[in-house]
Amino acid sequence: MSSFEKRAWLALCSMGPAYAVYFVIQAGFPALLPTMGTRIACLAVVAGLHAIAYLAGWLVIKRQERHEGFIDDERDRVIDGRATRVAYFALLAAMMLVVVMPFDHEGWQIVNAALFFIVVAEMMRNALIVAGYRKPRLAH
Amino acid sequence: MPIEANDVRLLRFLAQDMTQAELGRRVGLTRQTIAAVEQGRYAPSLEVAFRIAHVFGKRVDEVFHWQSPNDEAGTQVDRTR
Repeated sequence: MSSFEKRAWLALCSMGPAYAVYFVIQAGFPALLPTMGTRIACLAVVAGLHAIAYLAGWLVIKRQERHEGFIDDERDRVIDGRATRVAYFALLAAMMLVVVMPFDHEGWQIVNAALFFIVVAEMMRNALIVAGYRKPRLAH
Repeated sequence: MPIEANDVRLLRFLAQDMTQAELGRRVGLTRQTIAAVEQGRYAPSLEVAFRIAHVFGKRVDEVFHWQSPNDEAGTQVDRTR
């Protein structure tokens, strides 16, 4: 497995669980976060856990990369480019939904919707990178 | 049937069993990409194809072969054109 693919897996594994917990709490148990302060604190804790998990994995991958020649090459860049392009347009479409939300939604709902779509777009990008290595035609 | 096939693996073997990592180092690719090229899972850019051919002292068309997916008979592209 190439370093680039490992990083995509790392992003998926660190981001997915962290933000899944956040959105489940926000959507399913809003009573647990009654004030603005608790909501911001919850988001900060989730973002911190995500950052710590990603950093730990990144250090492990970085240590392994010392023994390899090239870290990434044209194939990695092609796969990354395709995945980023798809995720970008998905994010663009999602943001169009978010910009009309102020008409009938409140502040935190808009913030969470925007955050949700950003997380989904990033997860989609990394999932497409992983798929690009599995499905050859996605890399062309 | 693969659209694009190549003799990279055979040429590595003939070049004193050159490793994928060594070939990758010489042409600027990762070992994983060399493996993907050999298995026909990735078609390299023209520049990289030239570099690979250069490492083995061959022409590009001696290393990489292309076949039309519509060519049921499996005949090779006419190289005399």
